[in-house]
Amino acid sequence: MGADVATAARLPIADARQVRRAFMRLLAADRGRAIQVLVLYTLAAGCTVAVPMLLGRVVDGIGAGWSIERINLVCGLIVAAVAVQFVLSRLGRRAGYRFGERAAARLREGVVTKVLGLPLGRVEQAGRGDLGTRTAADVNTVADLLRDNGPTVATALIEVVVLYVATFLIDPLLGLCALVTVPPLLLAARRYLRRASGAFLAQRAAMSEAAETLSASGAGARTVAALRLQQERREAGHARAETMYRRFMRVLRLQIEFFLVLLWLNRFQLVIVVAAAGLWYFQGGLSLGTAVAAITVTVRIANPTNAVMVQLNEFQQGAASLARIEGVNLIHVEPRTAVPEGNDLRLDAVTFGYGDGPDVLHGLSLHPRPGERLVVVGPSGAGKSTIARLLAGIDRPRTGTATLGGVPVGDIAVEELRRRVVLVTQEHYVFTATLRENLVLAAPDADDDRLVEGLRRVDAGWAVAAGLDTMLGPEHRPLSTAEAQQIALARVVIADPAIVILDEATAGIDPASAGNVEAALAAALAGRTVIAIAHQLQAARSADRIAVVERGRIVEDGTHEELLAAGGVYGGLWHAWQGD
Amino acid sequence: MPSRPRPLRPKRPITPLRLLVGLARPHKGRIALGALFYLLAGSASMAQLWMIGRIVDEGFIARDGSGLVFWLSLTALAVIAQPVFWSLGFRQFVGAEAAGQRAIVRRLTDHLNAAGTGVRGRVPAGELVNLPSEDTRRAARSIADVGFFFNNFAMFTVGSALVWSIHPLLGVVIIAGSAVTSVVTGPLLGRLQRRQSDYREMIGDLTAHAADIVGGLRVLRGIGGDVLFAERYRERSSALRDKGYRVANSSSWIHAMRHSMPIVFVAAITWTGAILAADGAITIGGLASAFSFATVFIAVSGNFIGLAHFLVAAWVAAGRIAGFLHVGPDVDDSGTVRGGGGELRDPESGLTVPVGGLTAVVTAETAPALEACERLARYRDSEAVWGARPLEAYALAEVRERIMLLTDEDYLFAGTLAETLRADRNRALAAIETACAADVYSGLGGSLDGRVAEGGQNLSGGQRQRLRLARAIAAEPEILLAVEPTSAVDAHTESLVARRVAAARAGKSTVVVAASPMWLARADRVVWMVEGKVHAVGSHAELLDDPAYRRLASHRAD
Repeated sequence: MGADVATAARLPIADARQVRRAFMRLLAADRGRAIQVLVLYTLAAGCTVAVPMLLGRVVDGIGAGWSIERINLVCGLIVAAVAVQFVLSRLGRRAGYRFGERAAARLREGVVTKVLGLPLGRVEQAGRGDLGTRTAADVNTVADLLRDNGPTVATALIEVVVLYVATFLIDPLLGLCALVTVPPLLLAARRYLRRASGAFLAQRAAMSEAAETLSASGAGARTVAALRLQQERREAGHARAETMYRRFMRVLRLQIEFFLVLLWLNRFQLVIVVAAAGLWYFQGGLSLGTAVAAITVTVRIANPTNAVMVQLNEFQQGAASLARIEGVNLIHVEPRTAVPEGNDLRLDAVTFGYGDGPDVLHGLSLHPRPGERLVVVGPSGAGKSTIARLLAGIDRPRTGTATLGGVPVGDIAVEELRRRVVLVTQEHYVFTATLRENLVLAAPDADDDRLVEGLRRVDAGWAVAAGLDTMLGPEHRPLSTAEAQQIALARVVIADPAIVILDEATAGIDPASAGNVEAALAAALAGRTVIAIAHQLQAARSADRIAVVERGRIVEDGTHEELLAAGGVYGGLWHAWQGD
Repeated sequence: MPSRPRPLRPKRPITPLRLLVGLARPHKGRIALGALFYLLAGSASMAQLWMIGRIVDEGFIARDGSGLVFWLSLTALAVIAQPVFWSLGFRQFVGAEAAGQRAIVRRLTDHLNAAGTGVRGRVPAGELVNLPSEDTRRAARSIADVGFFFNNFAMFTVGSALVWSIHPLLGVVIIAGSAVTSVVTGPLLGRLQRRQSDYREMIGDLTAHAADIVGGLRVLRGIGGDVLFAERYRERSSALRDKGYRVANSSSWIHAMRHSMPIVFVAAITWTGAILAADGAITIGGLASAFSFATVFIAVSGNFIGLAHFLVAAWVAAGRIAGFLHVGPDVDDSGTVRGGGGELRDPESGLTVPVGGLTAVVTAETAPALEACERLARYRDSEAVWGARPLEAYALAEVRERIMLLTDEDYLFAGTLAETLRADRNRALAAIETACAADVYSGLGGSLDGRVAEGGQNLSGGQRQRLRLARAIAAEPEILLAVEPTSAVDAHTESLVARRVAAARAGKSTVVVAASPMWLARADRVVWMVEGKVHAVGSHAELLDDPAYRRLASHRAD
């Protein structure tokens, strides 16, 4: 069964180059708007910078003995610059948010479309949790970045650039002085990012480990009581708390180190510019107003610089999420184009193993005859479910062939295959949607009568009574295992394929009612080829044929009577099961 | 059906405020020291801006090289000192925050033990994930946020005083600027968050939809609906984008305002200062200083209210934590009797467990049988009797030590196989053998050091069930009540387990709720329950005479 996922082949993660390319694709897809955002942000920042520059004019003006009217005129210009800045800033932000919205929508729609086309075997090998995190949490992280922090940081970054340009415009030599602190700042930021990313991830991991440990204590409250595990759970919880603390302190140390450098560099920049401006001024190289403008522009640089720096980490995390999303896009999907002729399904001398693991099937052949009800029995771990997966085309055999109508099952287009072969497992998923939506996916053009009929066929009277408009799902109407299984079976009846594979499909239904459901299902599937996999023997007796699997091989094959008469493995099982 | 709540009665109810104050109290010294450093840092920062004015006046305008050097050196000293003070303050407050996180998680851990089975059914699983992570983070953050608040406040007070000293009118403008900026843009942010709440809801909805697609991928691929779901996702994604456009219309105004408001006051300071300077009321250096103050700290004043939002979040999180701390045990723990024992009896169902032997309970409805076992194992308060005394009269620890309930709800904690089985090597291996769990043992590397993942996630459902059974066998309780212990096991293995369990537990009392003939044939005594009441008691062979029993408990075709 599911135990083989331990050797899971993980889903790929994009490397730095691929992430950059994915990001550029997002920008390029909406090039016009990206340019519009850039222009608006730059103009808005230009207006902001005009304020200290005009202040310089005023200072020189006062020295030159300007009239109050003239001072008022320049100050009026400052106010005008602020007003224009406000309007541009608003337009720029709106365009930025819209750009972010569009990019986020494109990203999430792309990944969901891709997910729906992924080879199932590949997804299940990697574990669905990973894919789930990528399509939900990672998509949200990147989308939030595109919508909120992205525009904010882009504004700050452009402002920083414009401020540096302004120092050059005021005085090229002072501009150079201001630039002196930039290289060490970039070096410090790089060093911080290198070390902090691991520390932040470790801190977050410590928090989820604590959450895992405490929710385990909660979920296992009875077990803790029964086995008197209180002391152990206390130690486990306190150990998690200690790890959280230590990792937090490590992040804190790195942050302090970085912030210290950042603050120093910010203000040393000011000291350098003031000192240089003083020297120049004494030598008559610049006016007092120019000096004041240069100094006040430099004072302003610190705020947006800090705004960018404290967000660096978020961007790093965003890049990590994008790498994981892009990883999904990197999964290779082989085109499935084969067209089967007829519905003859068979396994010929197949061997198969999960991931790099050992073979679990050894040269096994199985040929369900059209219209027959074949039951596959055997102990847990014999490879029964693997047979089902090969027959349904979820996995491909290592050697040998699994074919339907003469072509490999795994090569048949999904839409074509599911019209012919449907697999139902004990894992029965119910979507958070109406009952109708949960059923109609099997046959999009089915009317309500057909859906209700499908429910009746599997003995799901409760569902008929609730009505097709009932919302299902844990928050609306949670279903028991048995009810969920009935929905899964009703889907099969409604889909009405030629071949049905039932892998322990009635395992969760109470023994008392399982019989009823199975009888109803058998009636509903009359004339279809049914391959039923079971560890209990209820279903075996009435089967046309029984195949007994042990250790990845078919050891017995025949009718109930034949196998009983042979007195082999099946005979032993049957007697044991009857309590003889 | 969770039993009635039985709240712990702390001396005083835990309120969010008490919780947060209690969090900070052990760090009084740290917090006071941090506040001092933040005050020094804020003063050093503001002093630099004030000294810019002196540099302009006494250096530049006076064309005095020594004046320039003097003030520049003082500024450099402040520049060196300020980040050091700030970091020391940051260290104290954030260090206290880290210790606060640790304290909350410890407290949650200890409370889980104190409340015991009381959390079952009353604290949703998701909440136990959020409490030690997000809620803890938000609540503990309040310590550092109070520090930032103090830091900003120190800058504001010192800065305002310095600007005031340049000229009272400028002081008025800058105080008004800070106040208006924080009062106006703060609430705007709150309004924006409220406006965004349905947008956030749509995001949550879309995320859930994506999770649904991944969760049901096999159904969507195997039966159909992939196209339908992809279309629905795209529709909702577009709807979210359009909603995002509308949010952007208003949020861009608000964010632009937050960004521009401080600049408006910078302009106001410039204008006022320019006129004062032209009048000779202030110096050019004073004007440059005032401008720099406005640039630096009106921009910061928006943070004031931003911090208030975090404090509200901390309050809400602390409320949730306090709520959890009020959850108490669900069974009465006032019994004191030790020792004793004998026949165990549940009057409500009529189920009795004699001393010694294997009792099989067969029923068409498992739920009431499970409830009877829960009463007998004291997971519910009831009239159950053990020997001569009510079960409630016994100390709970005594009951837990001697009576064990085994259900599919039992949890496998992360740990080695040896830690899971909690027995010495021989007893552990014997229990594995009894429960036919050799495949678990070999699958985990053929050693008792093999690791079981949290919740047994690295085992199949059948393996988990047999490992739980092995653990119960290894515990060797005097009375074992096992509900459907082999429901996920194949027939062949089930018959082996039944035989081995009967042998391993010879001399002890064992109850197995199961309809399988493998157990019934092994049992010393079969109890047939109908609708939660004992209907008949006898041996399997005797009861088989009843056709209704035969239908229920035999796989034999009639």
